[in-house]
Amino acid sequence: MLSEERRTEGTALTQPASGRLANPDIRDEFGLETIDMNMGPQHPAMHGLLRLILELDGETVVRCDPVMGYLHRSKEKISENRMYPAVIPITDRIDYMNNMAMEYGYCLAVEKLLDVEIPPRADAIRALMNEFSRIMSHIPSLGFLLLELGAFTPILYAFRERERIQSIMEAVTGARMMFHYIRLGGVKADLPEGMPETMWEYIEGLESHLQPDFIDLIEGNEIFIARTRGVGKITPEKAVEMGLTGVPLRCTGVEFDVRKHYPYGWYKNLDFDVVTDQAGDVEASYRCRIGEVRQSIRMIKQILENLPEGEVMGDTGRRIRPTEGDGIARVESARGEYAVHVVSDGSDTPYRVHYRTPCTVNMQLLQEIVPGHYLPDIMPIMGLIDPVSGAWDK
Amino acid sequence: MAVTLPEGNLETRLSRYLEGFNNRHGIEDSLVEGDLVLVVVKPDDVPAVLTTAREALGILHLSFITVVDRQGSFELTYELLDLRGAQVRVRTTIEGEEPVIGSVTGIYPTANWHEREAYDMFGVAFKGHPDLRRLYMWQDHFDHHPLLKSFEISTRRTFEGLR
Repeated sequence: MLSEERRTEGTALTQPASGRLANPDIRDEFGLETIDMNMGPQHPAMHGLLRLILELDGETVVRCDPVMGYLHRSKEKISENRMYPAVIPITDRIDYMNNMAMEYGYCLAVEKLLDVEIPPRADAIRALMNEFSRIMSHIPSLGFLLLELGAFTPILYAFRERERIQSIMEAVTGARMMFHYIRLGGVKADLPEGMPETMWEYIEGLESHLQPDFIDLIEGNEIFIARTRGVGKITPEKAVEMGLTGVPLRCTGVEFDVRKHYPYGWYKNLDFDVVTDQAGDVEASYRCRIGEVRQSIRMIKQILENLPEGEVMGDTGRRIRPTEGDGIARVESARGEYAVHVVSDGSDTPYRVHYRTPCTVNMQLLQEIVPGHYLPDIMPIMGLIDPVSGAWDK
Repeated sequence: MAVTLPEGNLETRLSRYLEGFNNRHGIEDSLVEGDLVLVVVKPDDVPAVLTTAREALGILHLSFITVVDRQGSFELTYELLDLRGAQVRVRTTIEGEEPVIGSVTGIYPTANWHEREAYDMFGVAFKGHPDLRRLYMWQDHFDHHPLLKSFEISTRRTFEGLR
């Protein structure tokens, strides 16, 4: 517990009400006041368990204060109490929409402290599964965005794609969501017989119905444009200042992708573009996500064309004991830069594991850009950030 | 584009960063390895060093802040990226059980929630933070900082004696 003199201000439950009105000139005559309102933690349109304390002037938000922690499962403390390989299933449950990237980041961080060589085939399969996982996360997130705007059809198409990828994942990893597939030193098992052909067939199919099912259906829609164009506008300076990564950063025009600028694993051998957009609003984020799905398709095709032969597991020894020191690795998850910092003291369990989840950082944006918007615009802005409850709460 | 990202060769940039820190501050230890510059500084110097990184060297992105409880001292790692391949790691150690350090929210506004998380989990007090509330744990009737090594959990396991 902090002693009294070390406590700074700000120990109150929430920020104090600002009391400022959106249009003070008009409102003052009528003696109107702002009202406080809770949105969540249980809200039908919220992406999980998040409570927003909103101060409203009529329908305009003047203050937004996110309260997190409703799904906090103390992943970092649990990780300190488990042997190194047993932490991988824990990381799976951080971002449950894009699990493969979570495993990948942790394994890369520990492998920095291990003396192990990853076989090229394992590296290629890791990248392959990561890209499938990214598609599996991006397409439903478009569906959710549209669902919150009142369009029910896209979510059905989105979940059709997710189901098909889940079947592929199930055949490869044995699980539909919590894969536990990437292991220290490689991957759990090789691809089953005939799987590259199945994947190729699926990817060609996805490429052909991306246009009719997601772009033609959504992009020209008048309601979609009215609800998203110019909403949640972020400038590139603001985005960099707030530490945004992933689609919220790239949709403002700043070109940064961990796969490109801090390459890891098989991504060094792949040819792909970083998708950016200039507008920096919700519509731009939608275009970025579609563009990234196209790039993922391109990468999957490249990997399948040149899949190296050989082993899929390096030799880590029977008992995994990394050398003393720090291992920091970062990967591009579907939501941005996901970094893992593992501190080892040479024993069987990590001394400390820190997960830098992109959602937590990107969510700070809510405090900054929601004020000034109408209450119903919060949902499209959440669609821009696309947070996952498990990832922001850890 | 209004945001200026660093250009040029990675090695020259790394040496420019190290030189920039060396010229302006008393660096206790430093290391250049691969794409990484590591500088170890005194806790009081951290805000000044990060100001140098942001203003003079143009490193735009604060990735995360890690606190490690070394039982008797706290080790803080500030991980900075220049978004073009170089990592800059600023490390400091605060002695004692009641850590206090200057806030960097004025330099990197993104540090706001990182520092709130560090305060919540370790009780690190950040001087000058505008809004130092807990991030995950509940505010009332909870006087613990759960990631401290002194916070015991009931299912603590050891793996001694395993082969």
